Amino acid sequence: MKKKVLIASILLSLIAIVLVCSFIGCQERPATTLQQPADESSERSTIADDSNKPDSEPIVWAETPTEPSKPQQDAPEDENGIGIHQVLVEPGKERLVDSLTILGPTGTPRPEVINRPPVPQDIRFSLKPESEEGSELGVVRGPVLLPAKKSVKDSMISGRSVAKYEWSGRDGDRYDGGMMGGMGGYGRQPGLVLSAPRRSAGRTVYYDTEPMSRPDRRILAELVNVTADEVWVIAKAETQAVPAGEDTPGCGAMLAKLPQEEKEIPLPLKHTDVKAQICGYIATVDVTQQFHNPYDEKIEAVYVFPLPQNAAINEFIMTIGERRIRGIIRERKEAEKIYQQARRQGHVASLLTQERPNIFTQKVANIEPCKEIDINIKYFNTLAYVDGWYEFVFPMVVGPRFNPPGFTDGLGAVARGKAGISGQKTEVQYLKPSERSGHDISLAVDIDAGVVIEQLVCTSHVINNSSPARDKRTVKLSSLDSIPNKDFVLRYKVAGKTVKSALVTHRDERGGFFTLMLYPPDNLSYLKRAPMEMIFVLDCSGSMSGKPIAKAKQAITRALKKLQPGDTFQIIRFSNNASKLGPNPVPATPKNIRKGLAYIESLRGSGGTMMIEGIKAALDFAHDPKRFRLVSFMTDGYIGNETEILAAIHQRLGASRIFSFGVGSSVNRYLLDRMAKLGKGAVAYIGLDNSAGQVVDEFYDRISHPALADVTIDWGNMQVTDMYPNRIPDLFVGRPVILTGRFKGASSTTIHVKGKVGDMTQDIAIAVNLEDSAATHAGIACVWARKKIETLGSQAAFDTNPDLPGEIKQVALEYGLMSAYTAFIAVDSSRKTAGDHGITVAVPVPVPDGVRYDTTVQN
Amino acid sequence: MNKITLIILASVCVIVPVLAQQSEQDYSTAQPGVRFAPLHIYIDSGNSNLAAYQFEVRAVREPPLQPAAGQIKIVGVEGGRHEAFKEAPYYDPAALANDRIIIAAFNTGRDLPTDRTRITTIHLQIIGDAEPQYELKLIVAADADGKEIPAEITFEKGE
Repeated sequence: MKKKVLIASILLSLIAIVLVCSFIGCQERPATTLQQPADESSERSTIADDSNKPDSEPIVWAETPTEPSKPQQDAPEDENGIGIHQVLVEPGKERLVDSLTILGPTGTPRPEVINRPPVPQDIRFSLKPESEEGSELGVVRGPVLLPAKKSVKDSMISGRSVAKYEWSGRDGDRYDGGMMGGMGGYGRQPGLVLSAPRRSAGRTVYYDTEPMSRPDRRILAELVNVTADEVWVIAKAETQAVPAGEDTPGCGAMLAKLPQEEKEIPLPLKHTDVKAQICGYIATVDVTQQFHNPYDEKIEAVYVFPLPQNAAINEFIMTIGERRIRGIIRERKEAEKIYQQARRQGHVASLLTQERPNIFTQKVANIEPCKEIDINIKYFNTLAYVDGWYEFVFPMVVGPRFNPPGFTDGLGAVARGKAGISGQKTEVQYLKPSERSGHDISLAVDIDAGVVIEQLVCTSHVINNSSPARDKRTVKLSSLDSIPNKDFVLRYKVAGKTVKSALVTHRDERGGFFTLMLYPPDNLSYLKRAPMEMIFVLDCSGSMSGKPIAKAKQAITRALKKLQPGDTFQIIRFSNNASKLGPNPVPATPKNIRKGLAYIESLRGSGGTMMIEGIKAALDFAHDPKRFRLVSFMTDGYIGNETEILAAIHQRLGASRIFSFGVGSSVNRYLLDRMAKLGKGAVAYIGLDNSAGQVVDEFYDRISHPALADVTIDWGNMQVTDMYPNRIPDLFVGRPVILTGRFKGASSTTIHVKGKVGDMTQDIAIAVNLEDSAATHAGIACVWARKKIETLGSQAAFDTNPDLPGEIKQVALEYGLMSAYTAFIAVDSSRKTAGDHGITVAVPVPVPDGVRYDTTVQN
Repeated sequence: MNKITLIILASVCVIVPVLAQQSEQDYSTAQPGVRFAPLHIYIDSGNSNLAAYQFEVRAVREPPLQPAAGQIKIVGVEGGRHEAFKEAPYYDPAALANDRIIIAAFNTGRDLPTDRTRITTIHLQIIGDAEPQYELKLIVAADADGKEIPAEITFEKGE
């Protein structure tokens, strides 16, 4: 009996094993779809590692008549994974290395056709302008058993450009760079000849790189005058990153090194063109990003870029040649899935996603060699207004962010070619200070102010401006200042001592929308403020090192000197941790102010940006009820955990008011604006070329008078709903508040804005005519929807309501707007490009002007 | 014992391939094909100048003509052939949020098309192996004065 049970058990076990194996076998079979095989690398990261990826993906070159490769076992591999690869050289042509020839721009020898490599072997060529002296020719992957290193002088453009050709291990199954002749630039540099590598040039040789396992893989053996000998190369089998800073998709990139200029690198983003039209206080901005493929294989371009934090993006068009394809707003995950499917199937596709309200990622898939694809993005935003000055800002570069330990949802700042090392969900690759990209920017702004423009200044860039009428200006960015490494900031002052509150409306089939720019009453400026408890919080992290911290220190020094006898103050610094001048705020006596000035002078910038420590230190101590507590943050805002910071402010604010000062050339305006809004205060920006003293003087002018608090509005005949912000903030002198909402009603009415100044009640009357067609703007509906999304998004930072994301998504989809939960997708379904999806190339950007690469970028 | 063993072995030989095949079929049907294809849309306005149009497109199943929800997704809208409609037309995001595809465009210029012209190409993602059937509904076609004109809307499938 026992024997029977045993046999039965064994049989049942066998059955179970067979069944499991059969099932697994089925699961592993490819789905019967038109999809190409799943691409793990594309799923892995939003920005692919362009240094690793080429090595892990097959690159299909033209089919060439080569003899079948030998089986895999012919390539021996040692226990450490070192593959031994063999290159056969035709008899009678010895001295492989010495006979390697770099082909010059004209007439230099062409390679001979070589075939029949008996075993898998790998050749990597890399074309990289290294220096003006020459270039290196060497094996880059693992040890080499031949003297394969050689410096070569090449006669490139004016004899200055150089070429580098590399041989590599067998996983580098493609050549890297490897073009001869006039390297060319991006076409905008005079005197250069564009000459991308072409397989058709000269006699081209392809090697089979893999045996039967990967029959499509081919190696271009152009450029190599391989002859005569049998050479053994030992290379590491595992995939390795291309040497730092030298990443290219592995084929010839158009590079040029110009005399007197820094090193240039290939870049899929060629040019950005910005055209803005300002009407009243609403800007309509068209941004065109011109992508091209400087390589000789297909690429996917990935570009992380900034836009204003209040931009309502509602239009996305992909242009291929003459064809313009409008992108569709979809749920983000759905759009990402569609994009990946289109990419795998070889369709040209583009995807725009939002990483932060002011940071976006643009992906363009399947850009064929030497082809161009334009992406046009259109957005609306409202302009800031302070003391008679409107301000138009166009950010040009994302500043390098610090992410606290353990945080992975931030923005990593890594060196070019070092994708993945930050461990963050989104990464920005930065150029070294010695590198230069061919990417430039042009920008034009047409202003129709409706009233006389008295003054116009741009402290950030060199501009040309003309004035077709007294209330109109046309501003263009000078071509001398076209490197996109700092925010473009344009301010213009309109006529009149103050501007009246104004209502702008829009109606369509969805109903009525409005924005109300609410100005504080004039008479507030005649009243004096109460004593203050000033808390200065200075960001002393590495990104502030140098000019930014110097500006911030100037600002605090000025502010300390403007304190009044009844005030108290505290100074807090933070980087990796926080520390302060003393345990409690001290009276603003001359002695204490001198002590404070000495403390400020001693501070230096280094380390991380643990802003949360600064927030705690500034908001977590007891408030002096006799004084108005005002917390002043001086920072560039280069952090990746904005949500955590905003949630902390919301939780700890109490009676404090936050005034945030953005210091630097390209600060995180989203964070600073949100800090000020949540902190019921205001924001100011100190550029590296601005006078810190002037900004502080304006700030003190503002806080030298009481604010209009507890503001309420009687809308008269207007039936207002869905107004944002829900709670009207305090009105400070010189700084208006913009309200936006929906309304019903079509007659003239008078709006009454009421608020308190101390014990007094103020009443501001605003007459409005809802039929006035001159006070309409089609962008108002988008501005309202964007404001609602922003408000709900901010609420999500501290509110665990699970319905919030759904609400945001619904509004964004209904109004066709970008948000954290929606994305724009555009696919050209009418044509498939040849081959699979190519490789991913990130667009590296310069660090913002004044920011130190070495203290902010992971390398 | 021998009988039992033989029965079990025979069962294994029969059941395993059947189960394996079934499992494969299930897997295939669970992963429908996804592809992308254009749909070219034409409007024939006869002798009238076409200045504006609005139409709705949907996928239907036959018979009867019931909406095939989820079979197509719009992934791009491209401009037409005539210069007046070269710019990419607009879609209604609110309708799209409710799984409806409504496309519209207008041109206030003087050079307007007459007769049959391709007004747009819609780029679609098609889910499933079945070939979708399309139904077009011309909501309105109008001339430069904003007056509704008689017109016929048709489509051609692209590859």
